Amino acid sequence: MKKNQMNKTRKPLSPVMIVIYVLLVLLAVVYLAPLFWMLMVSVKENKEVMSAPFGLPTTIHWINYQEAWTLGKLGIALLNSVLVCTVTLIFSLIFGSMAAFAIARMRWKLSGAIATFFMIGMMVPVHCILIPLFVRFAHLGLTNSRFGLMLPYITFSLPMTIFLLTGFFKSMPGELFESAAIDGCGIYGCFFRIALPLCRTGFFVSGLMTFINNWNELLLAMVFISDPARKTLPVTLTYFVGPYATNYVQMFAAIIIAIAPTIVVYCLFSNQIVEGLTTGAVKG
Amino acid sequence: MDKILRDKKAICVFIAPALIMFVVILIIPMIQMLYYSLCDYAALTPPKFVGLANYKKLFFKDSTFKIALKNSIFFMIFSAVTQQIIGVLLAVFLTNIPKGRNVFKNIYYLPCVLSSAALGLLWAFLFNPKIGINQLLAKIGIEGPLWLMDSKGFIVLPMWVIAFVALWQYVGQNMMLYMAQITGISRDVYEAAYIDGASKPKAFRYITLPLIKPMMITSISLNCIGSLKFFDLVYNMTQGGPNHRTEVLATELYAEGFNYFKYGYASAISVVLLVLCLVVTLLVKKVIKVETYEG
Amino acid sequence: MTKRRLMAAVLSTAMAASALFAAVPVQAEGPEEITWMFWDDLQATTDTTSLGYAQVLERFNAEYEGQYHVTAITTNLEEYDGKLNALIAAGQTPDVYICNPGPNMDVYVEAGAAADLTDILTNQEADWYATFTDGIFDRMTYDGKIMGIPTCFQAACVYYNTEMFANAGVDVPTTFDELLTVCQTLQDAGYTPISCSAGTAWCLSMIAGYLCDRQGADLNAIAAHEANWTDDVFVQAATKLQTLSQYFQPTAAGDSNDQATAAFYNEEAAMLVQGSWVIGQMNGASDTIEDKCGVFQFPAIEGGADPNRTIVKTDNLLMSSTTEHQDAVIALMKMFTDETAQKYMAEVAGKFPINKNVEIDYDVAPAQLKYVQDIMANATGTLGFYNESLDSVEAGDCFDNAMVDVFLGNQTPEEACQTIQTYYEDNVWE
Repeated sequence: MKKNQMNKTRKPLSPVMIVIYVLLVLLAVVYLAPLFWMLMVSVKENKEVMSAPFGLPTTIHWINYQEAWTLGKLGIALLNSVLVCTVTLIFSLIFGSMAAFAIARMRWKLSGAIATFFMIGMMVPVHCILIPLFVRFAHLGLTNSRFGLMLPYITFSLPMTIFLLTGFFKSMPGELFESAAIDGCGIYGCFFRIALPLCRTGFFVSGLMTFINNWNELLLAMVFISDPARKTLPVTLTYFVGPYATNYVQMFAAIIIAIAPTIVVYCLFSNQIVEGLTTGAVKG
Repeated sequence: MDKILRDKKAICVFIAPALIMFVVILIIPMIQMLYYSLCDYAALTPPKFVGLANYKKLFFKDSTFKIALKNSIFFMIFSAVTQQIIGVLLAVFLTNIPKGRNVFKNIYYLPCVLSSAALGLLWAFLFNPKIGINQLLAKIGIEGPLWLMDSKGFIVLPMWVIAFVALWQYVGQNMMLYMAQITGISRDVYEAAYIDGASKPKAFRYITLPLIKPMMITSISLNCIGSLKFFDLVYNMTQGGPNHRTEVLATELYAEGFNYFKYGYASAISVVLLVLCLVVTLLVKKVIKVETYEG
Repeated sequence: MTKRRLMAAVLSTAMAASALFAAVPVQAEGPEEITWMFWDDLQATTDTTSLGYAQVLERFNAEYEGQYHVTAITTNLEEYDGKLNALIAAGQTPDVYICNPGPNMDVYVEAGAAADLTDILTNQEADWYATFTDGIFDRMTYDGKIMGIPTCFQAACVYYNTEMFANAGVDVPTTFDELLTVCQTLQDAGYTPISCSAGTAWCLSMIAGYLCDRQGADLNAIAAHEANWTDDVFVQAATKLQTLSQYFQPTAAGDSNDQATAAFYNEEAAMLVQGSWVIGQMNGASDTIEDKCGVFQFPAIEGGADPNRTIVKTDNLLMSSTTEHQDAVIALMKMFTDETAQKYMAEVAGKFPINKNVEIDYDVAPAQLKYVQDIMANATGTLGFYNESLDSVEAGDCFDNAMVDVFLGNQTPEEACQTIQTYYEDNVWE
């Protein structure tokens, strides 16, 4: 057992491992089958979706993608989404990590209360503050602009970011900061040179959640933005849902176009982070 | 050390940006919401103060609210229990398998990346009696139930279906959180344990579990809040139907506010939801005690 | 107060930064800009009505180039009311917006978000007013004031597959009992008699609405609390719904509106009760259905009420009560109701014109339109869709849900009527 754990040379798998692998593969099928179905639907004709939703497509209609791209104005929507989500991501991570550091590491009376206070942000249903928020933003001329959308996105992302990062900062051994302080590091030095670099996984996890939440956010984007040139992806996806009938094929094509970048970015970063961690752990 | 950690100015600098945004954009509308919950308010005309009338109606007259509350609590308990257990198990399995860790992890995480609207539609198709799973069941001679329309029992079948779909979609999130924490545990700790003759389950019990405990609070709290506020899949799969039997708090407040223009009443539901979230989070904190590293 | 000032300070800094991202459009000496809000995207849609509206907008912008310009604000149907409410609450009401009749329109009229058009129609633009079909403004009139302009109207009828009827040897039923016999014969001949969706509650409720009306229900009496939901008419109607539902396709409980309609045009079921918007949809999806599709009036109930009343609804345009561009708005509304637009509505979208001067070319229009037109010619009266004719949107949903429960067997007709009755006692009549 011990050897297995230590060096990953070719060893016959233990029966337990085989059972685990079988389970994992079965589960993977459960996860992939629906996505495969989405792919299939996206190259069918609408009529076929109704008559044979689970059959393989008789002919492949790549045209769906082309039409979804132009009709849904996906190009500009993609750009808007990238812009809004990236800016949101950066600011929520910066502001969030600062607040989380103060809550998790610094000593002050109100830290616990402030942490709970921020958590309230996760509990407020967005539907109910939508109208007051919109009215306020409208008076300030911030509706119908991408910046006006970023502000609530950053704010709504903060509680989760702070909450997660607090956990990560708390789990760092205190000795690290002490020795840094002895070496003459100030509080800002501790934050930038020790806490942040060590919190890579935390940044990745909370950044990912923030990004995905905002990438898929529909309600605020729908209500705040009226100008087609500033709409984000989830809003344009609803173009294909009509009042009496839904254009399934183009909608799924658009959905696949919409999720592709997320998946690519996610796979790239997640592998890098995991590798970085593993090497780090081995060295440590 | 202690001195620099008590630096008041630094604390202000760290907290200020987040706090200001938070208060201006979230807390002020939230206070408005609290006020509206005491009003007869249709968004289009100015609110009319009615005291506790909305709450009275909510607790004593509204049968849909009772269903929504029941469903939400069921959903929370189900999600918290299943997602934690399966999430931890997956994380442990994946960190221990020699090969394919990233592939499996990415696959299980995939649904989290997708919009619930798309997935809701997809599963609604799958559970549709005419074209979905029932057709496959019929081939082996089983008459499938009305997955999304059956209305018998304390917790109706569609609620179970939605709960399982939510488990499918979000368990990857927990797995990720735990994996991040487990891979952060130094390998030396395990090496030492194995040298001392500890078995794998023992190592899990005495090393992994205590070390992921802080993450457990985080994860369970997120789970509970997320599932109490849960909206997307329910809205996209059943819209709360048939006859409100799968209504949860979030869908009910959406219907009251956006379909029936009763914002005051919807605000009252939001307040109940918020209080519920708060209570649950505090409970989670109380129940799972954690010793943090004190620097 | 201080809070507000602080916030203003913070947000104004934010606003300065926002100039980086959002160029604030500066209105130079351009045309008068108006906005029109609609519940479907105008480019990506496949809905023929929406496409027709898109053409109207194009024509408007071309014809009034330099003078007026209209921009569409679109959402999908689900978020439409939410967004419209937010805009109205913020004082940014779109100059013109579309609205369903009934309780939905009541909300906007009562909130003062719609302009009174009476004077414009009856005095300033009397010629325009004279082109509208008689009585079309009835459901848009509040205390004698006309608050909206219809763009088309749609009628609900029974569509049937003539081939299946011929094969089973049955004729069009004129009474409910005959309908049951026809259903039984069709079923014996191996056909699914009726396609209906209980998954989309209003589909089922359309049949329920017809049954109530044929039975002799009077919604005005209900509104005034001179009648009760527990009265015999409603219980009878609900019972008939239950009886009729045994002839629905086996998956009716879970099928969506899309699917139920598809079952009819894919020739899996013999009858479909739907609004006339379905004409464009079915002809678009099937090449063969147009030749086989007949239409008949929902059958009478012996001993019941007038069997020639038809369920209809209009799409309405409301003008913002705060608009500064009234002339532009009227010009746009006129274009929605002119002959070109109305001809398109009839001949392509299969909806009825509200302009009585329009000559529909029935050779071009879908065949079904003519059949519905014939039914309308004999109609002695109209009623609204039931869920749009009750006291509020919520009351409409309550009715729909009660009918779904009857269909699913969760409630007996008596219990279901009692549910609606209780709702009315608690919320409407108090």
